[in-house]
Amino acid sequence: MLKLISQRLAQSVVSLVIVTMLTFALLAAAGGDALTALSDDPLASEATLEQMRQVYGLDQPLIARYWRWLSSAARGDLGESFFYRASVSSLVMPRLLKTIRLGLIALGFAWALSLALGLRAARRPGGWLDRLCEILITLAASTPRLVVALALLALASNLSLSTSGSVALPAFALSIPLVALFLAQTREAVGEAMSEDFVRTARAKGLSERAIILRHALRPALAPLITILGYSLGSVMSGSVIVETVLNWPGLGSLSVNAVRSRDVPLLMGVVLVTSMTVFIGNIIADVLLSLNDPRLRETRARAV
Amino acid sequence: MLSLKKTADGLRKFVSAARSHKRLFAGSIILFVFYAAAIFADFLAPYDYRAQSRLEPSAPPARIRFRDSAGDWRIRPFIYARRLTDPLARSYVEDETQIYPLEFFARGYSYKFLGLFETDLHLFATEADGPRINVLGTDALGRDRLSRLIAAARFSLTVSPLSVLMAGALGILLGCLAGYGGRLIDAALMRAADVMMALPTLIIVLAARAAFPLELPPLRAGFLLVSIFVATGWAEMARLTRGQVLAVAGREFVVAAYSLGMRPSRILFRHILPNMRGALVVQMTLMIPTFLLAETALSFLGVGLQEPEPSWGNMLAQATDLQLLRAQPFALLSPALAIFFFVLGVRLVSDGLKKLYRI
Repeated sequence: MLKLISQRLAQSVVSLVIVTMLTFALLAAAGGDALTALSDDPLASEATLEQMRQVYGLDQPLIARYWRWLSSAARGDLGESFFYRASVSSLVMPRLLKTIRLGLIALGFAWALSLALGLRAARRPGGWLDRLCEILITLAASTPRLVVALALLALASNLSLSTSGSVALPAFALSIPLVALFLAQTREAVGEAMSEDFVRTARAKGLSERAIILRHALRPALAPLITILGYSLGSVMSGSVIVETVLNWPGLGSLSVNAVRSRDVPLLMGVVLVTSMTVFIGNIIADVLLSLNDPRLRETRARAV
Repeated sequence: MLSLKKTADGLRKFVSAARSHKRLFAGSIILFVFYAAAIFADFLAPYDYRAQSRLEPSAPPARIRFRDSAGDWRIRPFIYARRLTDPLARSYVEDETQIYPLEFFARGYSYKFLGLFETDLHLFATEADGPRINVLGTDALGRDRLSRLIAAARFSLTVSPLSVLMAGALGILLGCLAGYGGRLIDAALMRAADVMMALPTLIIVLAARAAFPLELPPLRAGFLLVSIFVATGWAEMARLTRGQVLAVAGREFVVAAYSLGMRPSRILFRHILPNMRGALVVQMTLMIPTFLLAETALSFLGVGLQEPEPSWGNMLAQATDLQLLRAQPFALLSPALAIFFFVLGVRLVSDGLKKLYRI
């Protein structure tokens, strides 16, 4: 287990370095930095700008700048935001916690709902609940988070509810596409497990359908669900951008929008680093869960990221 | 007589095909409607989507009536003129003294029909000197929301399929390379694809977008979005293609082709790729909503397509005005409905294709 975790950690660090390097290069290649806007200002002379560039280290070559950023990032110092005039880590950390809280609630809700519905529907394939699930999957998969979030906003404003501060609405909006994904996966996986030999044996033993599903079909069906949980973390982080902006949740997503609008490179780098890191760590946790669920996986090398 | 029977036969065949592929059929109809609206946008839209009307900001949807104030029924639907009473509260009163009937095939602004010939015919409007009819109301600058909604379809419905085609092609190419090109390439490409899939794409896309000037003309914005989507969206396709290549490469007919001394590229194009056509097509249709949503999200956040050009995303930005949203939720959320139905159409088609190809 320890070997698995350390191996995956090492892979994630390499991936993180590559991702941040690409983002850094892209942001630098665009030409222009946070000081370009200042050059229109008659009060800022060329000499002042040069001096400021030196202070921020913007006059050095790209590799040197990236190395400086990386080495200080490794020490936990993400630099200073041009726009907010505050250290990036002090801006990012509280908001990261907010986004993680939102994401976990959304993931938990989607998981609980799709397991509850999917397992119940598996008792009678083709029954009314099964068909309802099918419709639900199509509808949920076609409803983008932006649409859900705006509809919730309209609903809340019509009922004169305050949307700020409540986690329920953004979490619900965030979870809708996940419900479609998880429910489809649950139906497929449980359905597959139900046609296995061990389920037939359990039936022959005279177990109740409920016991068969909970004790025998659930466990093999959990594996793809955990895998997909790991893969959906990126989508949760992406979705949080929209949901947080619309429904006023002070998390990373809304921060990253501000960073883009003000072209705040240090802040953007911080956001990219922290979100990717969260996703990678989440993926490692998913892998650990996967191997806890299936003892056969503990020995062999796990899925690579 | 014979031809009539043939037509009936064809019709019956079509109906039975439609019945056994309900989802594919329903989805195709939805997509057809959307693309028809995008192609005939200028004809369907009553007004130029850029034309502002400063006296009618944020007007509610026009009420189309059949009965006048005296209680008499009219054959032609009509509207009343309206007047802004309170610019702050954006409230309007209708002036019931004169009626303005709807005109079908009315004259309006001139445009090039299908880019071919000049015309000024529009599906409906009011007479030229009457008040404007805004079926979905107007936005903050008094622009007709219905016209903008229709015009917006053009941008959204080109950018996402174009990105899908290009990202799909890149993904298939890289997938074939990975599945067919040796261990080292395979490992490198698949690791890259895994990272790409795990990443929070929208945040990366936002960061990539920040590298370019915020204000861009529509064509360049479109180009930029397509290239960003291609750069970030190839991974899933590459993964799927690689898996399929590996699965098909072990089958007898490929081994036979190989033992007959066929060139690898010929085997790939003649034997392997045709066998995985279905899976690739389905995956491509599944990518359309992803890119459409990314595009609308960027436009919504103000960094995709920018005003005055309309996109479903930047139209929705207005819906965050709570006061307005309470007053006219349906009109403000009409782009959201458009997005929902378009994505629904795409999903139905891809579900139908899945069944058709038996995946």
